[in-house]
Amino acid sequence: MKGSMADHSDDHLVKLAKKGDVEAFAELAGRCQERIFYSILALTKNHQDASDLAQEALMQAFKSLKTFKQRSSFTTWVYRIAVNLTLNFLKKEKKDGARQILDESLFWAEVKEEASHSPEGHSLKRELSRKLGEAVDSLPLPYKASFVLVVFQGMTHNQAARVLGCSENTISWRMHRARKMLQARLRPYLEGR
Amino acid sequence: MRCKTIEKWLSDRIDGELSERKIKALQAHLERCHSCRSYAAALEKIQDEARSIERPEVSPSFWIGFTSRLKADLNSKRQEKILEPPLVKRWRWAGASAALTLLIVAGLYFFLFFEKPVPEMYVFSYEESITQIYQEIGGDFELEEMFNLVVLASIGEILEGSGWQDSPGFQENSLLWENLSDEEMMLIESEIKKEEKIEEVSHEG
Repeated sequence: MKGSMADHSDDHLVKLAKKGDVEAFAELAGRCQERIFYSILALTKNHQDASDLAQEALMQAFKSLKTFKQRSSFTTWVYRIAVNLTLNFLKKEKKDGARQILDESLFWAEVKEEASHSPEGHSLKRELSRKLGEAVDSLPLPYKASFVLVVFQGMTHNQAARVLGCSENTISWRMHRARKMLQARLRPYLEGR
Repeated sequence: MRCKTIEKWLSDRIDGELSERKIKALQAHLERCHSCRSYAAALEKIQDEARSIERPEVSPSFWIGFTSRLKADLNSKRQEKILEPPLVKRWRWAGASAALTLLIVAGLYFFLFFEKPVPEMYVFSYEESITQIYQEIGGDFELEEMFNLVVLASIGEILEGSGWQDSPGFQENSLLWENLSDEEMMLIESEIKKEEKIEEVSHEG
């Protein structure tokens, strides 16, 4: 059964899932869950929160599948649900002042070893990487979400705009301002390399 | 070309969103602007650094757990859907229940808190109507005479078969007198007195 599901296109699986086919939906979820999970993780930096939010986003997609008009791809649609859920979650956490970053080192300190050749260079790189993580995390939420989708997920401005429900031009400006803020914060570390 | 515009273009170029025409203009600007070249280098470093950050490793067991949890939730949701009536039906019931509740509450509210207008009891009164007619036609003898005949005829219809005509006089019929008002009685009395006077005059004459 699983093998046959894997052969179907997203559009066909959506049609089946709309009729209540759980296996078809599970196949669709399997195709995008990893990207969604990592995007949420980049925003929350908490493994458990990312897992819960990804599950919640997929369940919400299943529940409201009948409202999905297929004007965008299924992945973009679920992405949008996931990012909205995550941004609301982060806003609430910020409001409550109870955010716990558990996996900062896990997420931000994993740097490709080949990028540095000397122990000194390695140390500087780790420091820059850590500071970059902190700087990205300190960005206002809309800028942070745009940066995560475009830089970490490799989306085009158009794709990010669809996910975040804004115009391409807005994404372009957000990226520009996010980079300006990051450059201002990281100036000492950028000059030190 | 202003440096602020160039900074924005630099960001777009990194994302692969800058047109060829703008790229040429950008390069021309960078050749003669040290500040923008420096900014461009900083952005390139940030981009490289961000791209070099590796995704944290997630064990295969995490994904197995993730998928099985999702499937369990999906199946449970599907069961709920099967057991529950269709959404439209539920909404209809919800709507009907809400409307009914609203109606009951509104009914109770008006019943309890609004003063009910007391319906004016209209009781048709022969006494009043006849008095009024006599007042209207008072002075016109012929008309009064005609009206008296009509009244008597209608009384005759009511009492038909009761043998009132056989009695010594309709004056003795209790049903007739019981239904007359004081004014009517006085009117009849005055009429009788008039007749008696006329008779006396005629006897004297």
